Amino acid sequence: MNQLALNEKGRTILAMGNDAIVRGGLEAGLGYFSTYPGTPASEIGEGYLALRKEFPHIHAEFSVNEHVAAHGAQGASWAGVRSMVAMKHVGMNVAAEVLHFAGYTGVRSGLVVVIGSDPGATSSTSEQDDRWYSLHTHLPILEPSTIQEAKDFTALAFELSERYNLPVILNAPSKLCHNIGSLRLGALPDVLPAGGRFERNPNRYINLFGGSVANHRRAMEAVENLRKDVPTLGLNRLLPGSGKIGFISSSVNYPYLLEALFLLGITDAPVLKIGLSFPLNAREIESFAEGLERVYVVEELEGFIEFQAKRLLYDSGLRTPVIGKAVFPAYGELDVDIITGRIADELGVKLPGRMTRANELADRLAGDLPPRQGAFCTGCPHRATLYSIVKATGRDAVFAGDIGCYTLSCLPPFRAFDWVTCMNCGVGIAQGLLQKIEGEDLIAYVGDSTFFHSGIPGLINAVQQNADLVLIILDNKWVAMTGHQPSPTTDTTLDGTRMRPVDIKGLLKSIGVSYVRTIKPFNIKASMAAIKDAIRARGGVRVLIAEEECALQYGRRIAREPGEYEVYYQIDAERCQKCNECYIELGCPAIRREDTADGWRYYIEEASCLRCGACHDLCLNSAILRTEIRRPVGAVKS
Amino acid sequence: MIAYDILICGIGGQGAISLGTVLKLAAIHERLEVVGAERRGGAQREGIVTSNVRYRKLEPGETPDERLTAVSGLIPSGGAHMMISMEPLEALRHGRWLNESSVVIANDFPLTPVSVRMGEREYPTLESLKERLGKITPHVHVFPIDELSRRHFKSLRQVNTIALGMASALGPLPVSDESILAVIREQFPDFETNREAFALGKHTALA
Repeated sequence: MNQLALNEKGRTILAMGNDAIVRGGLEAGLGYFSTYPGTPASEIGEGYLALRKEFPHIHAEFSVNEHVAAHGAQGASWAGVRSMVAMKHVGMNVAAEVLHFAGYTGVRSGLVVVIGSDPGATSSTSEQDDRWYSLHTHLPILEPSTIQEAKDFTALAFELSERYNLPVILNAPSKLCHNIGSLRLGALPDVLPAGGRFERNPNRYINLFGGSVANHRRAMEAVENLRKDVPTLGLNRLLPGSGKIGFISSSVNYPYLLEALFLLGITDAPVLKIGLSFPLNAREIESFAEGLERVYVVEELEGFIEFQAKRLLYDSGLRTPVIGKAVFPAYGELDVDIITGRIADELGVKLPGRMTRANELADRLAGDLPPRQGAFCTGCPHRATLYSIVKATGRDAVFAGDIGCYTLSCLPPFRAFDWVTCMNCGVGIAQGLLQKIEGEDLIAYVGDSTFFHSGIPGLINAVQQNADLVLIILDNKWVAMTGHQPSPTTDTTLDGTRMRPVDIKGLLKSIGVSYVRTIKPFNIKASMAAIKDAIRARGGVRVLIAEEECALQYGRRIAREPGEYEVYYQIDAERCQKCNECYIELGCPAIRREDTADGWRYYIEEASCLRCGACHDLCLNSAILRTEIRRPVGAVKS
Repeated sequence: MIAYDILICGIGGQGAISLGTVLKLAAIHERLEVVGAERRGGAQREGIVTSNVRYRKLEPGETPDERLTAVSGLIPSGGAHMMISMEPLEALRHGRWLNESSVVIANDFPLTPVSVRMGEREYPTLESLKERLGKITPHVHVFPIDELSRRHFKSLRQVNTIALGMASALGPLPVSDESILAVIREQFPDFETNREAFALGKHTALA
């Protein structure tokens, strides 16, 4: 039984922050969910898909991109069904156009936008602070601090959305989305929400002529209505104290702050916990700041609360200093250590000895350790494709990078990757660059899901402008990097469900790409030849589709249905010339080095090897041997 | 307030997060409050993965005070009561979270970073890693956990359960063996083998 489906109010379960958001939607009677997967918010969609049996009335989908996902949720809200759309922080850029109108149109049933932010950018190419959007989208923002609040605020967000007729944002950083801890369940609705019905609302939905101006005004008035009610909503809480230095904090930084104050022995500081970071209420901020010597705002990324608090206090004439980003960094992740250190500096308090000793020793003893960077998984088709690209070009080309697992080709041993910014920056930037450079080969990468997300317009432009580039579509059939959500090219899910895969070749032909070839990445020699051919065929866009399923998904499939033959690869120590092609240039983690009685050897660790065969195909000395053994009768599922 | 914080570290695919989840589920089993942040290495190999496990329990008669009971997902530096590292280099890399009374349980099998494979960096010897960790805390226990699993169970599948047995022996943990085993029985197939692995870990750590 999926614990998130339990109808036992008061029961405590173990849940990830993302699970808590899923449960909050269930408790609020959600009827529609859409998302484009992105770390740290990906598990929300997986959560709803896993609940299809228990909650068959919820439509849950992985949409083609965030713009489409946000429109979908808006449509469902207009049908009178509570709806949710989830995305990572940069997804908000893609959904921004939709969400700038969602305040204008208002909602019919509650519409909640979940944003998984990524301070520290551990899984992203930027750490932008999406909260600033609300200054022009006019959408209220809830910032839960704990797993429990992630659920409670999600459920509450639907009520606020309906009461104030605005979509509501729930902003949760990766250190909440991915935290795992206790969650106390609330009640599930007794009656399942019925199907919806469209009702015309031309004043709100047709944003033409004076209508858009009226709706702009209405959205801003809705924010003011909410602003007035903030003190009665119980979302912001005061922890009273007799000290003269106060702290304001939100999100996961609130428990960090309390822990920091505890470690520093500061027990009397008043603390205002902000649960709703937009809009803020002037009276609430004033009554907190009044009589204090100064107020520190502890928030992650940029000074969004600080900015608003300063503005509100300025208007009220109160001159209590508000200090935020001058002390707490506006970039990177915050944690208890950083907050403790900065407060200790500011207030002239001594750091706890345990912390000082730990940091000194760690710097001295562990300062020089070899770093770990990402690497392609064992058996990953991208590793083989990158090996072929590097060998075919000698790295003498411009490599237009993009977002996906293949981003790791920027790292050793491949280092064939010249930029990565946002989705579809590969072809997009390349086709402009090519108008102004000459005589250089250009190879652009894109994965299947990234291509469908927003790559088609850029490619059409490249075709029309006759950009001289080779585009390699690394089609591994899944949105692999975010945890294997289905992509438009997924044809069969792991449980055997047939999908309707998009025909990439047909699509390419129809937009005017005449040079389309498919390569099988593990056939290294053939792939290298195809890449050289494509480069030589200069003029216009040439597309190579490197087609092979993600190794992790393939491994899972094979574990369920083993083939008729068991295949082994071994390195023949006699033939091996230790040329390093497999160990360093391909860099397969299953190929290892060990000391022997008379020196050392390379070997293939059988338990790790996924039998992709790339090393066998590339070995110049035929030292990697392939053996096939027929499995015993009965071991193969018919 | 009874507090006990465990930092688990390893490399993607070693099961550090699953190990943390077993310890957290054991807390739910005993009605302890538990929270903890995870650092996920992404879907790829080679990434560093950590799991913070933070147990909290009010003492009998204690009234909850948010200033004392608020607990974040992250253990502050010098704050871990125990570290379980599935890889020796990662134990030292996460030395910042240890203090002089922390208990360290580390697997001795090294996983080579790409920088070492490429010949750009050197992997420290096990002796040097132990010596450096020993300067932070005297309670450093390095065991051949991979080897134990291979030898006794002919696979690496029991590595995490063996480590749990060691943690239980060297703790003491705020959760009981019964709770840990009850969680393993619910979550994983082949309970008997896991029970043996847990006992092997305990026995090895106490020997």
